[in-house]
Amino acid sequence: MDFSLLLDPSILLELLAQGLVRGSMYALMAVGLSLIFGILNVVNFAHGELFMIGAYVMYFVVASLGFPILAGIAAAAVVLFVVGMLIERVLIDPLRRRSGRGWLLDAFVLTIGLTVVFQNLATELVGSRRQGLVEMIPGSLDIMGISLSYDRLVILAATLVVGAGVWLFVRYTPLGKAIRATGQDAEAARALGISVRQIYMITFGIGASLAGISGALLITIFPAYPTVGMLPAMKSFAVVVLGGLGNLPGAIVGGFLLGIIEAFAVFFLAAGWQHVLTAALVVLVLVIRPQGLFAVQGARP
Amino acid sequence: MSLTISGLTAGYTREVPILSGVNLRAEEGMVTTIIGPNGAGKSTLLRAVFGYLKPASGTVEHFGRTVTGLEPEQMLTEGVAYLIQGRSVFPSMTVAENLELGCWTIRRDRRRVLDALARAYEQYPRMAEKRNARAGSLSGGEQRMLEIARITMTNPRTLLLDEPSVGLMPSLVEEVYQQIGALKKAGYLILLVDQNIRKALQIADYVYVLKMGANSHHGPAAEFKHRLADIIKEWI
Repeated sequence: MDFSLLLDPSILLELLAQGLVRGSMYALMAVGLSLIFGILNVVNFAHGELFMIGAYVMYFVVASLGFPILAGIAAAAVVLFVVGMLIERVLIDPLRRRSGRGWLLDAFVLTIGLTVVFQNLATELVGSRRQGLVEMIPGSLDIMGISLSYDRLVILAATLVVGAGVWLFVRYTPLGKAIRATGQDAEAARALGISVRQIYMITFGIGASLAGISGALLITIFPAYPTVGMLPAMKSFAVVVLGGLGNLPGAIVGGFLLGIIEAFAVFFLAAGWQHVLTAALVVLVLVIRPQGLFAVQGARP
Repeated sequence: MSLTISGLTAGYTREVPILSGVNLRAEEGMVTTIIGPNGAGKSTLLRAVFGYLKPASGTVEHFGRTVTGLEPEQMLTEGVAYLIQGRSVFPSMTVAENLELGCWTIRRDRRRVLDALARAYEQYPRMAEKRNARAGSLSGGEQRMLEIARITMTNPRTLLLDEPSVGLMPSLVEEVYQQIGALKKAGYLILLVDQNIRKALQIADYVYVLKMGANSHHGPAAEFKHRLADIIKEWI
């Protein structure tokens, strides 16, 4: 370990850039996870598989069909929105009607099952070969002695735009307010004529769509293969703990924070240490500040 | 014009009906209260009327239209609003957002929403003052006031009130009943269930007594006021 390297601004900047890109993935994944948990009270273990499907959609639309990058990202967003709504209506909704006090565990187990199904389906349908793109937009931006590829900038910018978009949507539109109301008190929301079933379906669709966008955006770093979603899913769980369950801005900040911490850890410590560090951080937060680092009292999405 | 319930049977499971063949008629501009021992099915009756649980048999008619088994959303469109039991404000949303959510079924009619908001603020100046405060930061009495204001946003004709005074201290109970009195004067049809039988009987015009999910007695409130002690004794 040579911490004097930290004094070198180009290394510092490079690590920061790496961390922000990695953090983009964590942030978008965590926002979806947090939204689904905050509103539906479902811990979606299959979130990584939604990321995986997004990566495949991106690959097929761009590499196989030859459409532009933006079309690939949009397709991933739309496909996963529909897949998410189907999962909610066909599997989770019937479970909700039957499940009582064991809901949290029942739903969790259901999504674990989904993970297995999706991973094996992917293996059967497209094989386990890695299918990725070398780059989305060629070229790079040279500033302060480091070179930032346009891809990284796109990932970062897209994450910020999508993250801010979701936040504004949930905060200011009537549908967004109905979503938050349902998360706070579903019974009361229903009394005002809000169709809680529809809200649940749409919310799961949005969360899934974010995972899909994330999978599509990161195609140059994480090529599509059946189990590609496992790492991002694990990390986004960590981010949700850091940011506070159901706290959307917390998920975004937490995502970038974890990304940066890991980038520095990888550089200064042996490669395996980043995961140890992440896990230790999660345990520490759970012990010291279980409501999350950025929790505001009583804040839910 | 009235709300007429005929032979209503409903329950949470098919095997055990909580209500069996309940009949009730509530008139516009009057407060009709349902009293009865714990577990008589008073709240369940309101829930069955509003569509929270589907009646197994029987009919509900509202102002001449059959509304049996409709979803809450449709009941609101039919002019029936429901104050659910217990706290129901959305605590981390503002007073204004809570009132806007009361306009959910009319949200596409921007004009009506704005009118409803203006009317609510005029009627409840305290809500206007605190429109940007989080609902969770209001006092218990203010939250109740917000909940009641919120169910009148769509201009309903009928209000189903489930335990409006529960959990409030006596001075606030008084305030809530003044509010209900004002709603009565405004011409709403009010169907009221409240553990505070004394207050409910004071404001009521007509009384139904439920026992074990079925009709027991009914009659004008005046008849019940001096028989109250006997009736309650009968329950024990």
